[in-house]
Amino acid sequence: MEITTESGKDALMNYIMKNCLWQFNSRGWDRKLQNENIIEKATQILCMEETTKESLADRCYWAEAQQLVNEWECFSWLKAMNSVDIKTMMGKLKEALDYQLITNSLNEELKNPNY
Amino acid sequence: MPYHQFECSKCIPERIKHAVDKTKNDLTEALPLGYLNTIPGTLSERGCAYCGAKHVIGTPMKDVIHLSHGPIGCTYDTWQTKRYISDNDNFQIKYTFASDMKEKHIVFGAEKVLKNNIIEAFKAFPKIKRMTIYQTCASALIGDDIKAIANEIMDEMPDVDIFVCNSPGFAGPSQSGGHHKINLAWVNDKVGQVEPKITSDYVINYVGEYNIQGDQEVMQDYFKRMGIQILSTFTGNGSYDDLRAMHRAQLNVLECARSAEYICDELRKRYGIPRMDIDGFGFKALTSSLRKIGLFFGIEDRAEAIIEEETKRWKPELDWYAARLQGKKICLWPGGSKLWHWAHIIHEEMGLEVVSVYTKFGHQGDMEKGISRCEAGALAIDDPNELESLEAMYKLKPDLIVTGKRPGEVAKKIRVPYLNAHAYHNGPYKGFEGWVRFARDIYNAVYSPIHKLSLTDISKDEITTDKSFVTRQMLSDDQLDESIINSEKLHEYTGEFDSVKKLRRKEYPQYPMKGKLAAV
Ligand code: SF4
Repeated sequence: MEITTESGKDALMNYIMKNCLWQFNSRGWDRKLQNENIIEKATQILCMEETTKESLADRCYWAEAQQLVNEWECFSWLKAMNSVDIKTMMGKLKEALDYQLITNSLNEELKNPNY
Repeated sequence: MPYHQFECSKCIPERIKHAVDKTKNDLTEALPLGYLNTIPGTLSERGCAYCGAKHVIGTPMKDVIHLSHGPIGCTYDTWQTKRYISDNDNFQIKYTFASDMKEKHIVFGAEKVLKNNIIEAFKAFPKIKRMTIYQTCASALIGDDIKAIANEIMDEMPDVDIFVCNSPGFAGPSQSGGHHKINLAWVNDKVGQVEPKITSDYVINYVGEYNIQGDQEVMQDYFKRMGIQILSTFTGNGSYDDLRAMHRAQLNVLECARSAEYICDELRKRYGIPRMDIDGFGFKALTSSLRKIGLFFGIEDRAEAIIEEETKRWKPELDWYAARLQGKKICLWPGGSKLWHWAHIIHEEMGLEVVSVYTKFGHQGDMEKGISRCEAGALAIDDPNELESLEAMYKLKPDLIVTGKRPGEVAKKIRVPYLNAHAYHNGPYKGFEGWVRFARDIYNAVYSPIHKLSLTDISKDEITTDKSFVTRQMLSDDQLDESIINSEKLHEYTGEFDSVKKLRRKEYPQYPMKGKLAAV
């Protein structure tokens, strides 16, 4: 089956929702940070670009992203995808995560200003 | 995804939004409400906020006198039963302390009696120099100032340290309110008071782990084999003074986010320590967790060596049980976090069909995780009452319920096998070996002839004398492929009765320190 950036995004989204925990932090602003940083780093790894991991926070985002990309080896089509398509697909993936877990989430605790 | 209407709860309209039938992967259509006050008319199985603070989080600390300031009943109900063992001969399970408030104290105050009790307890156990005190409804309502008394004692007895947790029973909809309160009280009052001795380049706090039947010690074994220093465990098998030094870790490794994410989030904000959520259950999820901790510290090779060794040792045993559990229906009805720790991996690695997930005190975030991880067709319920649980069991006809002891007793009454999700049956369940022990417990629960026998009314039913004898082969192997039955690779659990004690005598490799987080 031909993999498009859309169907690829769906497969990666399903994988994350089933296997990962980092996208579920309890507050909306926190989820936004997690999605932004981990997806950004995963995109950089997939496109073989430089990624920062000097601070403890960056290192944690990077470890999550690197492990995710390692596990995505099960998607053989990902290896054949070019950088432009990867970036488009990962952009859509971040949008889907934000939509499911922040902007359209029914979780009423996301807006709680305190931890 | 539609909300689920229980027949028995039609008269309680508020309940409709607490249950959802999962039809697809879309959390934006329906999500059960959670962490709300119990609705009048629906009998909840939840605990109180004092119980959440003391019984779940405070008491697993091992070198501490745990004292409840209140009537004896609160204390008794939060003593033992959760099997959070420790490597110091289980002091925290053997003893519990209460100020034993009576009616006269409600009238005249109980600060004096509390002070006497504190002194008495320290005198009775002169080697223990640390204490936690828990407020209850009674002492909160009369306004006893427990902190003032604790400070007086600390002035008079400079070698002791006391932590006060003001989380009376009414301070939240469930035990979860107490988890929150004690997390914040500890980080506010105690973290930063002790400077630890750093012995490794790789230093973590292991958070949200309560050493149920040795879970913490199993995970500690992996971390030590990787050369990681566990500064503190919050709180199973954890030491009071180690937990005062949490601010010096490089990473918080978080297991039960439901009960302990708050302290991780605060430590991240105040001290810049990142939070990494992990799964200690299931081969695949644990493998992934060890690998990402390895990546964080730049010691992937050490993680890999453990994964290889453990998988080789235990996978054939897991697969023996998995072959016999395919398609069996299970309700995952734990308290808060295990519904999402187990929902996907129990299906993937043991072949069980998760027909329902529920949480007693979880929040909507726990449901998001649980619903995402279970398969379509599962019924997700927030804080069900007993009638709803019964209705669900009659409808779903599970082969097994994994839950707490109260709903477990209900399940047993209608002859549904039950395993204890909180205190376990023959745990530990964490780690590679632990996951096999869990599979063995599930196998025994599903196939044990006792459940069929218990349906017999021996006062009137005829007991057959020629058909009662059954073997394991007749029970679980009759539909199996010959290649599985005769496999030389797969076999039943071969570990010891106690899989934890040997870890306490173990020697670990010493890795010389390089003086900084080596990989950064
Ligand atoms: S609700 Fe109040 S009285 Fe009851 S056990 Fe909890 S603290 Fe004690």
